[in-house]
Amino acid sequence: MKIGGAYTLAVPQQRAYSLLQDPDVLAQCMPGCDHLTRIADNEYEMKMKMAISAVQGLFTGTVRIADSHPPSSFRLIVEGSGKVGFMKGDGLLTLMPEAASTEVRYEGDVQVGGLIAGVGKRLIDVTARLLIKRFFEKLAEQIALQPAP
Amino acid sequence: MATTITKPDTLVGKRIKRKEDPRLITGTATYVDDIQMPGMHHACILRSPHAAARIRSINTHAAAGHPGVVAVFTGADVAGVGPVPCGASLPGLRVPHHSILAKDRVYFVGHPVAVVVARDRYIATDALDLIEVDYDVLPAVADPEKALAPGAPAVHPEWPDNIAFTYHQEGGEPDKAFAEAEVVVKQRITSQRLIPTAMETRGVVAEHRAGQLTIWSSTQIPHLMRTLVAMMLGVPENLLRVVTPEVGGGFGSKLNVYAEEALMGFVAMKIGKPVKWIESRRENYLCTIHGRGHVDYYEIAARKDGTVLGLKLKLIQDLGAYHQLLTPAIPTLSVLMMPGLYRFRNVSADIIGAFTNCVPTDAYRGAGRPEATHGVERMMDLLAVELKADPAEIRLKNFIGADEFPYATATGLSYDSGDYAKPLKKALDIVDYHHLRQEQARAKAAGRLMGVGLSTYGEICAFGPSPATPAGGWESATVKVEPTGKVTVMTGASPHGQGEETTFAQIAADELGVTMDDVTVIHGDTAVVQYGIGTFGSRGTAVGGPALYFAIQELKKKIVKFGAMLLDSDDVSFSGGLCVCNKSGKTVPLAAIAGASYRAMKLPAGEQPGMMATYFWEPPNFAFPFGAHIAVTEIDRDTGQVAIKRYVAVDDCGKIINPLLVDGQVHGGVVQGIGQALYEQAVYDDNGQLLTGELTDYAIPKASMVPWIESSHTETPSPVNPLGVKGVGEAGTIGCSPAVVNSVVDALSHLGVRHIDMPLTPERIWKLISAGGRA
Repeated sequence: MKIGGAYTLAVPQQRAYSLLQDPDVLAQCMPGCDHLTRIADNEYEMKMKMAISAVQGLFTGTVRIADSHPPSSFRLIVEGSGKVGFMKGDGLLTLMPEAASTEVRYEGDVQVGGLIAGVGKRLIDVTARLLIKRFFEKLAEQIALQPAP
Repeated sequence: MATTITKPDTLVGKRIKRKEDPRLITGTATYVDDIQMPGMHHACILRSPHAAARIRSINTHAAAGHPGVVAVFTGADVAGVGPVPCGASLPGLRVPHHSILAKDRVYFVGHPVAVVVARDRYIATDALDLIEVDYDVLPAVADPEKALAPGAPAVHPEWPDNIAFTYHQEGGEPDKAFAEAEVVVKQRITSQRLIPTAMETRGVVAEHRAGQLTIWSSTQIPHLMRTLVAMMLGVPENLLRVVTPEVGGGFGSKLNVYAEEALMGFVAMKIGKPVKWIESRRENYLCTIHGRGHVDYYEIAARKDGTVLGLKLKLIQDLGAYHQLLTPAIPTLSVLMMPGLYRFRNVSADIIGAFTNCVPTDAYRGAGRPEATHGVERMMDLLAVELKADPAEIRLKNFIGADEFPYATATGLSYDSGDYAKPLKKALDIVDYHHLRQEQARAKAAGRLMGVGLSTYGEICAFGPSPATPAGGWESATVKVEPTGKVTVMTGASPHGQGEETTFAQIAADELGVTMDDVTVIHGDTAVVQYGIGTFGSRGTAVGGPALYFAIQELKKKIVKFGAMLLDSDDVSFSGGLCVCNKSGKTVPLAAIAGASYRAMKLPAGEQPGMMATYFWEPPNFAFPFGAHIAVTEIDRDTGQVAIKRYVAVDDCGKIINPLLVDGQVHGGVVQGIGQALYEQAVYDDNGQLLTGELTDYAIPKASMVPWIESSHTETPSPVNPLGVKGVGEAGTIGCSPAVVNSVVDALSHLGVRHIDMPLTPERIWKLISAGGRA
């Protein structure tokens, strides 16, 4: 399933880029994720709760950052599996400077399997969009809370 | 060939309510899940979430240690169990080894990987989550045409082309016919993957006690299952008993031998306790066979006057990852029936069986014939459109004549009997076809989208002569008159909802001159009933019925001998439940004759005591029912919703034993046909994930989605058997989907629509209307 969209963050490009690479920020902003543990350069172990339709479960897996071209783009690869199935997301994030703010464009592919695919597929598209929206909203909150360094 | 007159003095031919229904509608019937036993354990199966993956490792330690769990088995534990059998054989068929639990690789989502046995089902389910499987996920392919494309992921690495078999059949001179044709019409036509959706999912109970293994299974074929599971488990067949309690629908999905049937036998032998496995609905959708799965490329050759000359078919069958019992044989039935009811003397067909990373396809109500009928009936409509001819006229012009039977088809069959114009003309009369077309013209002028769709189907049923079947095509019956005069019938056909407890009681009661209440029909227990084949392919009445008839004829000889002895006469006949001395007029009733046969104070010369006969009847040919269905539809221009305004089914299934049951079969069949035409489709995504994994996403028709079905009949007896019966279990499904699709295409034809693939969802129709008919 293809996903794509854009969200504007009220910080300059360089600042947006470093926020999006910060595991603590990512952990706080990823819905259902309590923490990210670094296991290698640009690779983190994650635990994430997710609910789709009547199915909810804990996913364990990794978050990986690849193809970094600071401050304009990088790829975010999220893989997780749990009792209710597995998910894999691979997205390219492009940061476009807009005066004092930054437009973050994302496009990628989400795959799910197992019970969540058979039961929740109708809602996965909507759920993915919702989760991404929540992610950026949280990020915006973080930005509002943290004055620029 | 005249309509058979129902004799008022016989039970055969009467609308009689089913003997089996009171227990079915009062909740007193016993299904597999109703079986309770002391010490019974429960099994749940871990299934692959991936369509293709290597299994690096399986860790069952935590699951095995979970409180209440008694055993966990994986592929390594069942290495000694034989593979899930494929009964079909075709030249060069590639048969993958189908282990009952995955060994080092999984091939479809739902592939069984491990089984947990626990005190109760909930503990077993919880423990499933504790099994850790390390998968190396591989690319998968879920579409048969994509599987055949170069570079596609190999479902089985040993066969990178994903081709399980190819099969060619031709008759006459197809190339010449096409070269000489004045008109050639071509169309790609699909018959989508469907999920049979029996109301009762599968279920197995197994018990191993004192060296005897008993398996209760919701199956259509208890005896064949016994033989095959005994071979898989290496258990002597005479120490394996298979019991089929009530079966809540099969539609072909239980005409199979599944991994779980052998697996539960294995578990019961290992743990020394009874074990139960009940399939969940989600498992049923993932792991029980699917049906259809055709991509067909048709070409029809004709003269300008509408005379058909030839038919060509390239058929791509989505087989799934494995062959279940009959998987590769199903599309060959489509080829056999591809000429339909028409005088196609020149035909050519090529099948390509394609492996995909999906659950196997196999027999589903109609099994190959709905696909064939959909194809030829769509093609006849396309030809009619091409020639601007009336679809009824073009059919009547090309029907095999009523005086041409037995008719040898170009595909090598011998159609037994028929009068194909008769049901069509009757259906046209019922809908008042001429006026209907006028009404359609008025509707069109008023901007409404109204369609009239015809389907005239022929089907092959009463499977079948043994040389044409993988496991024997005969059927068996035993009839006993008990010492009190009550009659017990044992049929090998194992009916499961078709109503043979009623129809066989009608036959036996008529033949023996007793009441229906005096007759009990027993089936579905290999320890009680003589070997039989089972119920599928509309064969229960058409093959099992004659077996019963002949068993009764054997028994009657004995009854007459005992009657003659008791009446002290050499001129005795048996009728109406009495032996009559034709000289003195003295009589002796059946109960007295039976009693005397068991008491055996005196025996007729050369006779054994008792009153029982068994007959194994081998049919000399298939039987070929036929009929005509008409669907009148109206389409909502704004939403694309199809409404079936009228549905007329005129079916000829030969002699009718019980019109009420025949109507029930037609109704059920038509509903499943409407399901295929309008609503149902098993959808896999590109990674082999089943997206229609439960009933919220897989749309079987609800009562509100089904029109009033106007069902009537013509009766052309079959010469193949003494009852003149043909079979009607699948007719409704076979006749239905082309009638509905032809009707919708007819409604949209002025927009330039030639063909629409099923299911005709509102979205699909709306897009066509919105695009002005362009797909």
